[in-house]
Amino acid sequence: MKHWQMSLSIIILTALMLSSVIFTKGYHGIFVFSLIINGTMAVSYDIPGRSLGLISLGHAVFFGLGAYCFGILVSKGLSFFPALFLSLVLSVVGALIVTLLMAGLNHGYYSIATLGMLIIFQRLFETLESITGGSAGLYIPNSMSKLHCNLLAAFLLATTVACHALFSQSRWGIYSKETEASEEAAEAIGIPTRTVKIMCLMTAAIPACMAGMLHLARNSHVSPDSGFSLTLSITALLASRIVPVKGILGPLLGVLLITAAEEIIWTKFEGFNHAWFGLILLFAALYQGIDFKRREKISAAAEN
Amino acid sequence: MLAVGLSLAFGIMGVLNLAHGSLAVLAAILYKKALFLYPFSPWTFCALTTPIFLGFGFLLHLIIVAPFRNLSLSSSLVASLIASLGLALILEDLFVWWQGWEPISTHVTFTTFNVWGIKIPGLRAILLGMAALTIGLSTLFLKKTDPGRSMRALAQDKEAASLYGIDPDFTSMGALGLATILAGIAGIFYSSLYPLGPREGLDLTLKALFIVVAGGMGNLRGPAVAGLILGFIESFAAILFTYTSTDTIVYSLLVGYLVLKRSGSRQ
Repeated sequence: MKHWQMSLSIIILTALMLSSVIFTKGYHGIFVFSLIINGTMAVSYDIPGRSLGLISLGHAVFFGLGAYCFGILVSKGLSFFPALFLSLVLSVVGALIVTLLMAGLNHGYYSIATLGMLIIFQRLFETLESITGGSAGLYIPNSMSKLHCNLLAAFLLATTVACHALFSQSRWGIYSKETEASEEAAEAIGIPTRTVKIMCLMTAAIPACMAGMLHLARNSHVSPDSGFSLTLSITALLASRIVPVKGILGPLLGVLLITAAEEIIWTKFEGFNHAWFGLILLFAALYQGIDFKRREKISAAAEN
Repeated sequence: MLAVGLSLAFGIMGVLNLAHGSLAVLAAILYKKALFLYPFSPWTFCALTTPIFLGFGFLLHLIIVAPFRNLSLSSSLVASLIASLGLALILEDLFVWWQGWEPISTHVTFTTFNVWGIKIPGLRAILLGMAALTIGLSTLFLKKTDPGRSMRALAQDKEAASLYGIDPDFTSMGALGLATILAGIAGIFYSSLYPLGPREGLDLTLKALFIVVAGGMGNLRGPAVAGLILGFIESFAAILFTYTSTDTIVYSLLVGYLVLKRSGSRQ
C-alpha cells in the first residue's frame, strides 16, 4: 500500500469516527451510522473478495444472523451485554456452519450458492414466526444510547480495517492469494487451501455478524427483508469493487460513494432504487471487462 | 423450459444469465397487455413474439457476453453474473413501473379430460406437451442442423471451432437468442397457469439455475428431468408442510445439492 493511500485511509477512518461522535441524532446521525455499518460490511466483504477472488451475493446472511440472534435473546429477556456476547457466540457458530458449506465452492457456483443461502435464511426466518416475528420482524426496546451505538460501530469499523490489513499481510493472506492464483499449485506446495478459505471467510463473517447486532441495537427493528437483504449484499459488493484501488482505501472510498448514491437514489428516485443499483452493477461489470482488456494489452506490450 | 434455456447459454458460452427469469416475466407482461387488444391463444402469441425475443437475445449478448469474451472462463462467469444481476434489477423496477405491483395472470380456461376415470386438467396437459415439444425441437435443432452443430462445437472447444470456420460471436449470439426465446415461451405459459409477480424474475432464475446445476450444465434432457422432480418436491412439500415453508425446503435441497455436487470442483 502506497504512502498516500495509507494516509487517505486513516483520514477517512478518523473522519468517520469523529462524525460518529458529533452526529448522533436525526437524519445526520442515521446517515453516519449507515456509512459506518456499510463500511464494516464492505471492508469485511473485501477480505475474501480481494484475496480469494470470491464474489458473494449473500454477505448479508451473516448480518442477519447477528441481528436475529441478538434480537431473539433480548426478546427472551436477557439483558443487553450478556445478549450481545451470547449472540456473538451463536452467530459465529451459525456463520461457521455456512462457511464450512460454502468453502468448497468456486467462482460462479460460490456466487449462486451464497445467493441461495440468503433466500433460504430470508424464507426460514419468515416461516419461524413464533421466534422471529415472521415477515413483520422483531422489535426490541432501546437499551443503549445512540452515541454509544455509534461509538461501538465506529470501533467495529476500525477493528475490521485492522483485521483486513493484518490478514492481507499475514501468512494466511499470502496463502489465500496463492490459492486464488491456482488451487492445485497452492496444494502442491503444501498450502491447506480449504482451511485458508475457511479462515478468510470467517474473518469476513464475524464483523458482519457484529454489524447486524449493532444495527438492531440502534434501530430496534429487524425483519427478514432488512436483515437478509440482497441490497445490503450488493452494497457491500459494489463498495468493495467500485474504486479500483488496492488495500483498505478501495472499500472505504467505495462505501462513501455508494452510501451517498444510495441516499440520493432513495430520496430522489423512489421506486427506481433497484434499477439504479442495477445500473451501477452493470457499469461495474462492464468496467471490469474493459479494465481486464486494458491490463491484457499492457502485459502483452510488456512481454513484447 | 427456463432451465433448458439457461443450460444452453451456460453450456455454449459459459454465461450464467441472472436476467433469464426477468425475460420470462417480460413475456408474461407483453402477453397480458396483448390480451387487452386481441384474445391471442398462448401458442399464437409465442409464435408471434419469437422474432422479438430473438432480438432481445441478441441485445443481451451485447450486454452480458460480448464485453467479457476475452476474460478467462471463471472471470467471465463472475462478470456476466454481476452484469446480468444488474440487468435483472433494472428490469424488475421497470416492470413494477410499467404494470404495477399486481401479479401478472393471463389465465386461460380449458376443458378437463377424463381418461379412465382420472381427471386431467387440459391446460396443464397441453403445457406439459408444449414443454416436451419445445425441448425436443431444441434438441433436434442442436443435433441435426448446421447452426446447432456449430453451437455444440463451440461448447466443446472454442479455438478448434474457430479453426473450422465457425464464427464464435455469431454462434453464441444465436445460442443466447434461442435461450431467450425459450424464456419467453416459458413466461407466456407460466402466466396462463399461475400468477407471476413483477419481481419474481430473480426467483424464477434461481430455481432454474439450481435445476441446471442438478441436471447438468450444457445438457438439455437433464434439466428437463430435474425440473419435473423439483415440481414434484414443491407440490409434496406444500402438502406435507406449510405452504410458506415450501421455498425454504426447495432452496435448501437445491443449495445442498449444489454444495455436494460442486464442492472441491476446480471449474
